[in-house]
Amino acid sequence: MKADLSPRTKMFLYGLMCVLLIPFVFPTWWMVTSSVKPISDIFAFPPQLVPQTYDWTTYSKVFELQPFVTQYWNSAYIAALVTAGTMLVSSMAGYAFARIRFPFADAIFMVVLLGLLIPSEVTIVPLFQMFLKAGMVNTHWPLVLVPIFGAPSVFATFVMRQFFISLPVELEEAARVDGLGRFKIFTRIALPLAKPALASVAIFTFLHSWNLYLEPVVFLSSADKFTLPQALTQYTDAYGGPMWNIQLAAATLTALPVLIIFIIAQKQFVEGLAHTGLKG
Amino acid sequence: MAEVKLSNVRKSYGAVDVIHGVDLDIADGEFVVLVGPSGCGKSTLLRMVAGLETITGGEVRIGGRLVNDLDPKDRDIAMVFQNYALYPHMTVATNMGFSLEHRGGSKADIAERVKWAADILGLSPLLDRYPRQLSGGQRQRVAMGRAIVRDPQVFLFDEPLSNLDAKLRVVMRGEIKSLHQRLKTTTIYVTHDQVEAMTMADKIVVLQAGRVEQIGAPLDLYDRPANQFVAGFIGSPAMNFLNGTITATGFAAQGILLPLPAITPRHLDEKAVYGIRPEHFALDGDGVEAEIVLVEPMGSETQVRMKLGETLVTGVFRERVSQSPGTKIRVQPDLNAIHLFAADGGQRLN
Repeated sequence: MKADLSPRTKMFLYGLMCVLLIPFVFPTWWMVTSSVKPISDIFAFPPQLVPQTYDWTTYSKVFELQPFVTQYWNSAYIAALVTAGTMLVSSMAGYAFARIRFPFADAIFMVVLLGLLIPSEVTIVPLFQMFLKAGMVNTHWPLVLVPIFGAPSVFATFVMRQFFISLPVELEEAARVDGLGRFKIFTRIALPLAKPALASVAIFTFLHSWNLYLEPVVFLSSADKFTLPQALTQYTDAYGGPMWNIQLAAATLTALPVLIIFIIAQKQFVEGLAHTGLKG
Repeated sequence: MAEVKLSNVRKSYGAVDVIHGVDLDIADGEFVVLVGPSGCGKSTLLRMVAGLETITGGEVRIGGRLVNDLDPKDRDIAMVFQNYALYPHMTVATNMGFSLEHRGGSKADIAERVKWAADILGLSPLLDRYPRQLSGGQRQRVAMGRAIVRDPQVFLFDEPLSNLDAKLRVVMRGEIKSLHQRLKTTTIYVTHDQVEAMTMADKIVVLQAGRVEQIGAPLDLYDRPANQFVAGFIGSPAMNFLNGTITATGFAAQGILLPLPAITPRHLDEKAVYGIRPEHFALDGDGVEAEIVLVEPMGSETQVRMKLGETLVTGVFRERVSQSPGTKIRVQPDLNAIHLFAADGGQRLN
């Protein structure tokens, strides 16, 4: 904020920001507080913003009712693999589209971008058939391979390409004069300078994979293979009705790493967005 | 160190020819400046020598070796770029030693070479800094350090001073020149600034639209430009040009008859361009009449914009001119410094 704003304007702007924060903060607050309320208090009227009684057993039930640790591990390692794979594929593809002159490069890039326009719901059935034939249904392979070579990677490639285009060509020319070949220029010059863009790709990809719901529901059928978003739907009573407080406790635990990652990587996230010219 | 030889070097982008067959011999240890207006092809030519641009036709030889199809790394050249092109994620020392490291030099050898170059360029206290922590002049020095540390056969400079302010440019000009005098490495230097060309070069190559207009020592180009383009490009303030006809009694420009040196009779009655540098006018009561338009006192000299007949020209005088605009003065052109160019094509006539 500019230093020359009057105190009254500053107060107004801060006030406005506080109001705008409500729709973002309230759901999180409601999730965390409701996770320790008895179910009857969650739907009490008037609503209880602060719990009247605290029931911490919801958190232990999360682990009792489902193999939650295994599901946590599933989500974590799949997200890590997808993130690493996407960073590798998108950085190389982005660099190639930005820097290597080959026939129809722009046209091919446009075709690749078209992948973003196809909703995942449209491709899920053919993908299921494909993975069924390959014997990979009810394994984690589809959840790893589809994002790495699908729309998330296309978006990441776009981000990386935009970044590499903005790198001065002279840096690479200087490296060529210094004796580096194309691959070394990529690994020693371009990639280290692309850290902010890579960081934003990593965060986007990790979040996407962590929150993925449709694909796990389609490809996985046994509880020990489930990922967290899918596991959340399994906290139901004998009649299939949701056990809200336990579900919200599991949701709180699910959201925790995402929040931690965002807090740690906030700077890179914003820098990455600035570098790519994209808005969040 | 090595000589560089360009033979009928051509460059085309599709159907567009940008370099039209350049021949150039650069002797071992020579400092050659390629100069010309924007878009004349000087940087393209340099990049062809570096191997950063492919060569459409002709031959480039460095040290007698044909390098047309060699990668930049195999040409034994070092290049300093306009925007320095320092690696932002490496310290000054790493930037300078990077090429040696990549070529498999030992750590001790690299450190010794970096120290040697840093001592020469006054960079020793800055070796642990990153490029973003340096001033423009320091970055320029690091770029030069990166070039000299390898002891290449040829240095290539692509407008290295363009991003510096006027004062620093003068300082760095001197540093590059003294570095060359110390190392005696063959150097090709590209600039659009004719003052840089005049002050630094052993030999200047003036380019226009992908063609060499003239090659020569700085003062040769200044004193005897081969054509009107070179005459107008070299020198500041620029040479004055008056259109007219060569007659037996003098040069008949619009509204004035100017004195001429002896000229072969075959040019009599020929349409021509009369060229005279601003400092080759003298205030003289017996001279031709001129009307003052603007007086610019510079301290050591006075620049006067004046009308000779119908043509506006510039005169530079050691004397202080105090007359106001509209006043008539008399100026005498130095007959030994008159340049005559063909009206058609601009080639030198005298």
